[in-house]
Amino acid sequence: MVSRNMLFWPAASLISLPLAFLILLPLSQMLIQPQLSDLKAAITDKQVLAALGRSLGTSLTATLVAVVFGTPLAYILARKQFWGKKLVEGLVDLPIMIPHPVIGIAILSVTGENYWLGRLLLAIGIRVMGTYTGIVLVLTFVGLPFYINTLKAGFEDIPVRVEKVSRSLGAGLYSTFFRVTFPLAWRSMILGAILCTARAISEFGAVVIVAYHPMTAPVLIFERFTAYGLKYSQPVACWLIIISLALFVCMRLLSREQEER
Amino acid sequence: MIAIQDLNLILSGFRLQNINLRIHPNDFFAVIGPTGSGKSLLLEAIVGLRPIQSGRIYINNEDLTHTPPERRKLGIVYQDYALFSHLSVRKNIEFGLQYNHIQPQTGKKRFENLVETMGLGHLMHRKPGTLSGGEQQRVALARVLIIKPRAVLLDEPLSALDPTYQDEMKDLLKTLHRDWGTTFLLVSHNFADVLYLANQGAIMHEGRIEQQGATQELFEKPNSPFTAQFVGMKNFFKATIHKKRAVLDHLELHLDSISKNDHSYLGIRPEDILPVAAENHGQPNVFQGNLTKVVNKGFQFEIKLDVQGTRFSALWSKRTVLDLGLKTGTGLPIAFPPECLHTF
Repeated sequence: MVSRNMLFWPAASLISLPLAFLILLPLSQMLIQPQLSDLKAAITDKQVLAALGRSLGTSLTATLVAVVFGTPLAYILARKQFWGKKLVEGLVDLPIMIPHPVIGIAILSVTGENYWLGRLLLAIGIRVMGTYTGIVLVLTFVGLPFYINTLKAGFEDIPVRVEKVSRSLGAGLYSTFFRVTFPLAWRSMILGAILCTARAISEFGAVVIVAYHPMTAPVLIFERFTAYGLKYSQPVACWLIIISLALFVCMRLLSREQEER
Repeated sequence: MIAIQDLNLILSGFRLQNINLRIHPNDFFAVIGPTGSGKSLLLEAIVGLRPIQSGRIYINNEDLTHTPPERRKLGIVYQDYALFSHLSVRKNIEFGLQYNHIQPQTGKKRFENLVETMGLGHLMHRKPGTLSGGEQQRVALARVLIIKPRAVLLDEPLSALDPTYQDEMKDLLKTLHRDWGTTFLLVSHNFADVLYLANQGAIMHEGRIEQQGATQELFEKPNSPFTAQFVGMKNFFKATIHKKRAVLDHLELHLDSISKNDHSYLGIRPEDILPVAAENHGQPNVFQGNLTKVVNKGFQFEIKLDVQGTRFSALWSKRTVLDLGLKTGTGLPIAFPPECLHTF
């Protein structure tokens, strides 16, 4: 008689199967359906190339902004107890929860000419609506929670005692952070950056409000779909998937190399 | 000299209360207490890793109360070693050199000396994660000693080690303490380790220092019921004590010195209760007892005794128990040496 235990893993796999189909089937069709000639035509199309480049460029810039400004915040949240900490954590999570067009509208409302911040930005030559800057701002907003939460968990995994020992050995707070904490959190930073970039590169709802032009890849895909139909949007989408996949594999490999060192 | 004056610290509802300690140069000082008594917290407060509410901390007459940990020059070794897992053994040991302005020649000399003393030469390029517990412990010690700290603070240094390696580590700690001429401050819950390693100590209980003095004195002359029980005085009774006489239930015991007026407890260690030959019957402090339970504890036997209605616990050697053919129900004369009776 077959033991019930022996059925556990096959049963778990069977239950998981619909999910695998849900993800793999549409994506694989997206990759298989376009003909090679369509893919070739798409990648030589200047508009497509510009949109793909812009998507990559703005997403990576947004991730860089998240790394610079999010790392200290993640460290504070991981190490310090303070009044209102839960509120700050809630605020960090907020962009995950609210509809993304709302994020776009919210950003426009403070950076437009009718608001003091918008007027101030304009005065120093920074325009948000319909610009590269605006896209980066929106992508940072939506990607930041993924970076901060991943890195915060990474910092929390580093025993506080190694930092304490470092201090007792004569290293100040800055030296301890850069010689002990930072190298130990490196992998979490890469992982957080991957998630942040992934979120940013796929963003459509908020970007379309703040900057329909210049077009990012998701906006271009949407435009081609609404104007010309599935056949014309698929090759662009296919290239976006391929480039994103290549980027994330590279980042994963980089983080593994760092860990091995 | 480390002097702690009226130190108070509150952390999540737990308090260190009015801690006063004096640790003389080159002492091997132990802070002993049960888990949760505040020993490790005290250690971190001394290093400057925990802000204190009040009190002062002096090291060599210098007030370090508000000095940040990186400028106190006190090395701490944690129970879990807290090695830098991203650095090699060599880089772990050398970590503190640059921050303590140690001349390269001096640093090199100390490094070579430590590596040789600790037997770490073959591990230099390994990462901490690939080392055994004992090896990690030695790296952690070398990392601290290389900066020649004013004191080495050890947080339960033996409890995470394999029992077979603990004796070796105890010897190493003694050697390092002797050779490096530095004050060692040890935190432990194990009195046997403390007796072997430390010359001075303090017993902590619920955030307070219960007793302070030479470790042998703490062991032999506990001054409170808590200390007595903590140092292994398992037989502990409420008694009527008057001068050189203590009465518990139907048992009258003679003391070797006149007890203080306010003493009302009597204690005796399990190993100080002795089986004696029948001809000693009738001698002072010798009574007929019955063995109610004999438990084999490996090298020793734990004996539960009933002596005139009072229950005692004794620890006797395997040879004694086997030679006398002792088993549950055996009756024999039991001696309570007056010099081993302690009153509180």
